[in-house]
Amino acid sequence: MSLTKKRGRGMAAAWYGIARTAAMDQAGAWAEIDDGGTAKIVTGVTEIGEGILTVLAQVAAEELGVKPENVMIGENDTSRSPEAAHAGATRQTYMIGNAVALACRQAKNKLFAQIAKEWNVDIQTLKAHDGEIWSEGTNYRIPMSEAIKICKKKYGVVPVGGENYTSHHTGLHPEDGSGKPWQAYVFGGQVAEVEVDTATGEVQLLGIWACHDVGRAINPKGVEGQVEGGVVQAVGQALMENFELDNGKTSSGNLAKYILPTSLDVPKVKTKIVEDPDPLSPLGAKGIGEPAMVPTAPAIMNAIYDAVGVRIKSLPATPEKILSALREKQRKSLNKSLN
Amino acid sequence: MSEIKLNLSINGKNIKRSTKSHYRLLDFLREDLDLTGTKEGCGAGECGTCSVFVNGKLIKSCLMPVAKVNGSKIETVESLGTPDKMSEVQKAFCLTGASQCGFCIPGMVMAATSTLRNNPKSSLEEIKEEMGGNICRCTGYQKIFEAVEIARDVINKKQNKNVFDKYYKPENSFIGANVKRIDAPSKVTGNLKYAADMKMQNMLHMQVLRSDRPHAKIKKIDLSKALKLKGVVTAVTSDDVPGIDNFGVFVEDQPVLAKNKVRYVGEAIVAVAAESVEIAKEALSKIKIIYEDLPCLFKSEEALKNKILIHEDYKTNVVKHIPIRKGNIDEGFAKADVIIEDDFSTQPVDHAYLEPMAGISYVDQDGVLTIVSPSQNITHHRHMMAKIMNLPIHKVRFIMSPVGGGFGGKEDMIYQGMLALLAMKTRLPIKYVMSREEDIVSTAKRHPTKTHYKMGLLNNGKITAVEIKTLSDGGAYGCSTEGVMRKAAILGAGPYHIENLKMDTIGVYTNNTPSGAFRSFGALQTEFATESMMDLASEKLNLDPFEIRRVNAFKKGDLTHTKQKLNSASINNVLDELEKLCKWDKGSSNHRGEERKDLNSSDNRESCTLGARLETNRSRVSK
Repeated sequence: MSLTKKRGRGMAAAWYGIARTAAMDQAGAWAEIDDGGTAKIVTGVTEIGEGILTVLAQVAAEELGVKPENVMIGENDTSRSPEAAHAGATRQTYMIGNAVALACRQAKNKLFAQIAKEWNVDIQTLKAHDGEIWSEGTNYRIPMSEAIKICKKKYGVVPVGGENYTSHHTGLHPEDGSGKPWQAYVFGGQVAEVEVDTATGEVQLLGIWACHDVGRAINPKGVEGQVEGGVVQAVGQALMENFELDNGKTSSGNLAKYILPTSLDVPKVKTKIVEDPDPLSPLGAKGIGEPAMVPTAPAIMNAIYDAVGVRIKSLPATPEKILSALREKQRKSLNKSLN
Repeated sequence: MSEIKLNLSINGKNIKRSTKSHYRLLDFLREDLDLTGTKEGCGAGECGTCSVFVNGKLIKSCLMPVAKVNGSKIETVESLGTPDKMSEVQKAFCLTGASQCGFCIPGMVMAATSTLRNNPKSSLEEIKEEMGGNICRCTGYQKIFEAVEIARDVINKKQNKNVFDKYYKPENSFIGANVKRIDAPSKVTGNLKYAADMKMQNMLHMQVLRSDRPHAKIKKIDLSKALKLKGVVTAVTSDDVPGIDNFGVFVEDQPVLAKNKVRYVGEAIVAVAAESVEIAKEALSKIKIIYEDLPCLFKSEEALKNKILIHEDYKTNVVKHIPIRKGNIDEGFAKADVIIEDDFSTQPVDHAYLEPMAGISYVDQDGVLTIVSPSQNITHHRHMMAKIMNLPIHKVRFIMSPVGGGFGGKEDMIYQGMLALLAMKTRLPIKYVMSREEDIVSTAKRHPTKTHYKMGLLNNGKITAVEIKTLSDGGAYGCSTEGVMRKAAILGAGPYHIENLKMDTIGVYTNNTPSGAFRSFGALQTEFATESMMDLASEKLNLDPFEIRRVNAFKKGDLTHTKQKLNSASINNVLDELEKLCKWDKGSSNHRGEERKDLNSSDNRESCTLGARLETNRSRVSK
């Protein structure tokens, strides 16, 4: 390793609130057990890349006893689907996930009531999973496709459900800020390992260890994807990105001037999910979208200090800032030795 | 407009036809052939979303004039596979969850395919280099690297191809299962249609004239020459808005088109509808605006003086001030063994989602104004649009098109109002696709902040008092400033039980580009300051950074900064797991650097060195 390259590590912790801040939050969803043992979910969900559609398919499959690949999720359309509000505030898994779970429970209860009649068993003995429905303690077991046929053809019932999930938040007191902005909180921490080149001021981020409480993790790979993506966005914030303005005009007006992290700039990310289920909601899941990127930048700044003894307090930590801080440090220690 | 004749092979088919001579290969593929798997993310060769093969070589089709590829063999993402019959690379992308928003993914799949065609045994480091020209804003690249390595191993028969069928078969529950993303096949094949990929019959194209002044009165808008241009259908200004002309995520203070004055460079003034994008652009150059420049405000400290007002009606430039008060900080600081005081700042950053803003609007058979756009909040947009257009709420319909990355940037309704005005006026479908430059200049950024911080602690690391003041530049319009200030205030002091706290966050108007919603919404900025302070304290008190955080971490039943009783607090558990995960070498944050024992583990990536693999590449060339 080059003599000018110095390594160091730093850590930072973080916390975050789930769903809309200091205001009531609500989401609605409709569910139907459909022909062929499939399911239809309609809700105003906004897939922005985080994987919420897959999460909802898993929730619906779990609650209805169908296979996730047999769940159809309708378009988000203000004239055709119930309100589930925005994709933001790390709220969709928590708000819409729970709304879908509750709507599915209603639909399933309607189906179960007919099947219990059909088999003359107690409804409590009925279970459904992965495309099958059965009665515990009996030999009754049929595919869901069969069950829905019986429910419709013999009893004339379409098993549908429509529900809402509310997260109860209050506004902040205007003078002292007291209030209950969220009902669920998540916590996280990250460690960064950097290599700082004291000759060029360049920082390479080599490793991030990320540990986040997400409540119950519905799709762990999806959670990892959110953490990795959040970390790398924060790498941009910490080390390279800057929307520069001079008298209101930008000099970073295209992607040649506005520098984003590429495959060569990113660290290896090791994620550990901590599950502290939310005690207040049916699924116990919380969220990860935004909290994933909160501890990264301070962990990197703390690592830079560990490596070369200069503290960058103004983001981003560009090579120019690091070099000038190193020079300042050298000047101070020189003065000290002279005095 | 001049035309040229082309004779070339596209995805194995010979194509003979004329096209516009100024077209890039990208335009020819998307506009003439409807091969919309090839995306436009930047139009400048920087992002790689438009990657295709020309005679087997990976190129960026936004930089290639179509005339230059005459006679060539072109392959696009559509040639690699379909959702029913995917290539190894595409299957691997589905397996690892390498696609999130999916907008960069066709280009990524092309780059990965190129990497493995050039060298089927590429190492991880070579894969990273070969794919360095393709930007992904969602995934952090990890799952993409993983996918390319799996595809490589399957191609080389080092891994059985049934790895792709690996499907989590749960015994009891689908919750906690790594179910493959249900939207991945449509994304890795380029099948998914984003707003810019959609076309409608008789569709017109919108272009927008934007302000080049940060603060100026609009004395006159002269549209006469623009409207005379052949192919221009109509144009709208602020005067065409029928209802209450304002919108905003928290503060509704922004007009659809600049009203009487402009407040930032990039603000929309006129929207033109024409038969083609080219004609609409030409029309913009024929519009004349007479401005009267006003004194400008670029610094948030200056804004607090209210000498220049950005919004005259409000009498102040303060958008929102959130105070939090708990205990008594004077008593807290009096008890402290040490007091640390410092200043921190953060910069504005762009969301840089790979899909620039785009949308289509039309009026349907029942007179319902319909807007299709990649919006993160169509519920709220519908409310605002009904008010702006003076329509009953059920006569406004928003449909979400697939969102090619948002990160908060697509919460603002900054172009849908213009689309609506033109659709209502012409009763024809209107399409708008922003260029990357237009997107960067006109959309909201992450709030830049300046924070003054004072923290008192006992020698054992326990915090006795904290005082934080954060000033933030909200730019020309309110957007999400109120909400960002609130979140920054509530969370800013970190996951620590602090008995005495005084926290203030203040967001102000200036003539800078508006600041808006951005993933982590203010908490990133203030928690950065807190976590830096915790390490300063760790060094000063000679305590391990995990230790000093544990001393202060919230426990179940503690009161938060807003005096809410916590029903659970996993922070101590998280810290324990993190310390184990990274095998942390204990010690204070006093620039231990190379003395640490936990450095250089295999959990790190390799460090980039100048000229790495130059030798191997050279030897390959000489062969």
